[in-house]
Amino acid sequence: MNMTQLPIIKDVYGFLGPDLMACVTGLLLILMFVPLNSAFLVWVERKVAGHIQLRPGPMEVGPHGILQSLIDAVKLMCKEMITPDLADKYLFWIAPCTVVIPAIVCFVVIPFSPIMQVRELNVGILLIFAFSSISGLSILMGGWASNNKYSLIGAVRAVAQSIAYEIPLLLSTMSVIIMSNSLKMSEIVAAQSPVWNFVWQPVAAIIFIICTTAETNRAPFDLVEAESELVSGFHTEYTGMRDALFFMAEYTAMFIGSSMAVVLFFGGWYGPFFSGIFWFVLKAYLLVFVTVWIRWTFPRLRFDQLMNFAWKVLIPISLLNLLVTAIVIKVL
Amino acid sequence: MNTSYGFKEYVKDIFTGSKSLVIGMGVTLKRLFQPIVTVQYPRQKPIMTPHFRGHIEAILFDDNKSHHCVACGLCARTCPSHVIKVQGEKTKAGDKKYGKKYFIDFTKCSLCGLCVDVCPEKTLKFSNEYELAFFSRWDGVMDLMQRLEERK
Repeated sequence: MNMTQLPIIKDVYGFLGPDLMACVTGLLLILMFVPLNSAFLVWVERKVAGHIQLRPGPMEVGPHGILQSLIDAVKLMCKEMITPDLADKYLFWIAPCTVVIPAIVCFVVIPFSPIMQVRELNVGILLIFAFSSISGLSILMGGWASNNKYSLIGAVRAVAQSIAYEIPLLLSTMSVIIMSNSLKMSEIVAAQSPVWNFVWQPVAAIIFIICTTAETNRAPFDLVEAESELVSGFHTEYTGMRDALFFMAEYTAMFIGSSMAVVLFFGGWYGPFFSGIFWFVLKAYLLVFVTVWIRWTFPRLRFDQLMNFAWKVLIPISLLNLLVTAIVIKVL
Repeated sequence: MNTSYGFKEYVKDIFTGSKSLVIGMGVTLKRLFQPIVTVQYPRQKPIMTPHFRGHIEAILFDDNKSHHCVACGLCARTCPSHVIKVQGEKTKAGDKKYGKKYFIDFTKCSLCGLCVDVCPEKTLKFSNEYELAFFSRWDGVMDLMQRLEERK
């Protein structure tokens, strides 16, 4: 669309230039995709969980229960939103609002295909890491503001966990960035057109997947909302749509983590016969399936095991991996 | 983790740990493709084992195409919950008595099975009926002879 032909719009939105259309459509697509995606992922999760335990999962609403999570969303919207009496009213209200920000912002830079990217940034990877940290902040806010011991313990655990696991996450990303010499998502994907980074960096890829699982607070690292000890962790006091927003953020973070892994290690949109978006979405959902599969396989870690695993195993290995990568790149 | 811990053990731990994780993933993946065992109840009916103990039922014998109940009342007397009521009938004087009506109030039955054990004619058994929820207390009262007639 040529913006110069519309002088009034140009006066008002001129600073956006031809980006306006891309911006509006992109944001609309993201805002549509995020809730539908998380509804779909909840269904996938329940189905996979069911079949792993030899039961069918949701079967009643729609064919094979595919509309179950949409109906659940309607139910959650109709529910009363309770604020505890001694809770910090404002923080309690803000926490679920901020938790969806990373879920929406991170989609802006994800390259679904060479043309399907809302905004190309020179520091796309950095933007995703920076904004995902907000979810840790909002978990802390929610847990603190609830004025509930279980919520507070859950929130404290979340912060300790994300500090521990962000280091190996960034270190394993770093070894890919050294290889492709760019922080731009599309250039990282373009750098793996003959061979995926997974071939060169299997250790970094595995560490990355483990760390995204921990960052999104999913089992076996779900100490933040460990049902058997902390009722349901930081969102114990949340009801209705606020609780649903935390859920939506969790499942979207899962998808974003998988898309990041696809971009960094599994060749992004590259694949034979079909168009880029098909391959990207297929790979991302396969990785999401792997996370779900991990959740329904392994029991929850104890907190000292969780910390030991991060500090004593993941960080040394990822440092070593980074060192070896740097030396090999320098020598070759 | 132990603090007195050599480098060798550390590396070995990582490898054995990774191996066991992969084995665990394999187990669940195999499970994922096995057939599910859930019975979608109202649409599919489960098949009960022959040893399932539902309420008692009169056995249909082949020799006289009916039950062998002689209305002796031993079951009614031995029943700890006083659930059973038997009515016999004779067609003419000097004839053998045979069971005409056999009422049980299943709502009070404790499924102890004493009636089945005590029956001298061995004409009682446990049914395979498992849908035993009623809307009224009177729905729990059933006539075994009438049920036998319906089964014929």
